[in-house]
Amino acid sequence: MLALEGARSSGALIMEIKHGMFSCDSHAQLDRYAFTSRMSEAKWGDRIPQVVEVEDKGSGELVHKWRVDGKISFGGVVNCPAVMHDRRYYPKRWEEVPLKAYDPLERLEALDEDGVDGEVLFPNTPVQNFSFAGSRDPDYEIACVEAYNDALGDWRRASDRYVPLAIIPYINPIEKVLEQVRRAVDHGHRGITMLADPGVSIKGSQPLNDPFWEPLWATCQELDIPINWHGSAGMASELSVPDWEKYTTRQHHTVSTGRLAATPAQMIPNLMLSGILDRYPRLNWACAETGMGWMAYVLEACDHEWERHHLWTEGILTRPSEAFRRQIYVDFWFERSGIELRHFIGIDNIMWESDYPHITSTYPRSKEAVQRTTAGVPEDEKKKMLYQNALRLYNLS
Amino acid sequence: MNLKYGLISVDDHVQETPDVWTSRLSKSKWGDRIPHVESDSNGAERWVVDGKPVDLPGVAIAHAALSDRGCNTGRWDEVPESVYVPAERLKAMDADGVDYSVLYPSVAGTGGEMFGRLADPELELACVQAYNDWLIDEWAAASDRFVPQCIVPISPIEATVAEIRRAVGLGHRGVIYPANPMELREVPHVNEPDYDPVWSTCEELGVPLCIHAGSSTSIQVSAPSAFSPRLAAAFSSITRQASQISVLVHLLISRILLRHPNLKVVFGESSLGWGAYQVEFADQQFNEDGLYLEGYDLKPSEMFRRQCYLTGWYGTAGVQTRGIIGIENILWSTSFPLATSSWPTTRQYVERAFEGVPEDEKNLMLWGNAAKLYKV
Repeated sequence: MLALEGARSSGALIMEIKHGMFSCDSHAQLDRYAFTSRMSEAKWGDRIPQVVEVEDKGSGELVHKWRVDGKISFGGVVNCPAVMHDRRYYPKRWEEVPLKAYDPLERLEALDEDGVDGEVLFPNTPVQNFSFAGSRDPDYEIACVEAYNDALGDWRRASDRYVPLAIIPYINPIEKVLEQVRRAVDHGHRGITMLADPGVSIKGSQPLNDPFWEPLWATCQELDIPINWHGSAGMASELSVPDWEKYTTRQHHTVSTGRLAATPAQMIPNLMLSGILDRYPRLNWACAETGMGWMAYVLEACDHEWERHHLWTEGILTRPSEAFRRQIYVDFWFERSGIELRHFIGIDNIMWESDYPHITSTYPRSKEAVQRTTAGVPEDEKKKMLYQNALRLYNLS
Repeated sequence: MNLKYGLISVDDHVQETPDVWTSRLSKSKWGDRIPHVESDSNGAERWVVDGKPVDLPGVAIAHAALSDRGCNTGRWDEVPESVYVPAERLKAMDADGVDYSVLYPSVAGTGGEMFGRLADPELELACVQAYNDWLIDEWAAASDRFVPQCIVPISPIEATVAEIRRAVGLGHRGVIYPANPMELREVPHVNEPDYDPVWSTCEELGVPLCIHAGSSTSIQVSAPSAFSPRLAAAFSSITRQASQISVLVHLLISRILLRHPNLKVVFGESSLGWGAYQVEFADQQFNEDGLYLEGYDLKPSEMFRRQCYLTGWYGTAGVQTRGIIGIENILWSTSFPLATSSWPTTRQYVERAFEGVPEDEKNLMLWGNAAKLYKV
């Protein structure tokens, strides 16, 4: 990639902290040619993910959309309202998208402007961690996953302020999954992002508790990379009272986002009672864009039921709150409740996120947002939450 | 009101006796469709409703009253009397320091959802009325320390309204309503104005609408098949409480609370630990999405504080964050006799949760708010 030539890359593991804030949930927009430049045209042709021009059904305007596996993706061309002049505006054409959304070098300036030292990178349009399983074509899934992980891995070559998370295939044998993980780690990735329960979200995939995934847990533990869940991690519609068809777009968004905590509040207990944490005591898990105040619920509910049902007699040897403090991390960005409960949750298990460049992002006023949220918190605790815990989790210090 | 201990438990369950329905529904009319207990070839007993076995752990919900909470009661003669004999229940309450107990069912669904699944509205109504009559005859009549709450038929709406009026006339003080009636049978979305007469009736009669955790299983992560029965029971208790998150968010955005400013909604067995985050996040998302542009007079947190209640029985996080949840929106309970119940050491749970909390605030959460809400 031309844009990356001459880019600085120290190669060292230690990350320089200049500003004192590290975002554990940001979204990297890949270039519009990220897939076409990496996948064989002869083999995949029009199925390669790419930006195409289509007529908007409502306005008749010519707009850009991503096309994946021949199908036009839902939504706009790039989800980056926080970097637009009008924050309510979602770009309709690629030329409207600011470089600081998808060019790793330009983006560094935005980070400096916002006082952010580095960021953990989750996918952006049109990619969600499970996007390519929808093709039902295992080979195509691998080709897309590889292209994505290669493209995002290149960001770390541009700057070690980026911490990329790899995606994995779901409709392939476990050996192929492991191969992709190792390949991605070789390419600079520092974790994987995956569904909270593949068996629920993808037809033909296996539940989180299934032995199918055990080699993945073992491999991630061995490579010392955390598993990352983002938002509802694929479970939002499964776990909700059915949406009302008469909701306006705004209402729909408030409801579908507002209930997000219902997922980790049920999936972390699933993880805890599955015994995975005891079987892989050095494997870490992080929940991004879920907030953290609800975590107090998970800890006390799991501990309570563990006591009431004598779950140590069922192979759950470690008290759930202890297993949490050993292995699970949660993020905050706006909340007072989680900060009030920080000791209850665990001061060493809390990280900060900016969600750049999404609508909820604290950019470009992350410093003020953090000052407001953490008012009254002692400096040493702030440091842990704002960057030290993250550097430890992602092996950057 | 006569307070000896200083606790009104707003969420406990009665165990229906085998004759609740058989003695009240016409045998000639309904035959074996009447809810009843039958035994299988091994002598294990279970409830059968309209020809289908009821998905209960055994023949009764009695876990907290058993020596091992992980066991189920397979036969009625093993069921402890404290779960189904009012006089024995009063003793259990005295032993645990509980003044008043607000009652939810067991066989009729811990959230009153069981009969909503019946395809025949006439049978649904007959079963619902029998439960409501029984609870007044056997429990409310036994002591004013029991606060009875009615269950309702979910369709047609006229029947719901009529039964609420009838039941409240009999002495019921709350209306148990399933979180997701659409899951039970073909009915309009619960946000539709079709339901307004139900909400209006509760307002008019001054009785809270009570949505109990677990009434909708589709919004809970189901226990993995690899889980042992004990793990599955523990897991389901956790997901049941967390599933109330989605119910609360829908309610806050639905405008039902704006249209019915005097409606009070209790989230039974919700727990408190997620409350502060959820109340705060609802506002955050509401503001971010610009929902104030769509004619809401109040923010979600304001609607919540005016009209909603969460219930705790263990843990400390909810009380610690009472300033965010709202001191007047917190109720306490024992959840007797579910496995998760604090019985018989409720005093210790209360002591732990309320350590350092000023007396006046503690009193509101332990009994004051409940006394006002249920007019005790």
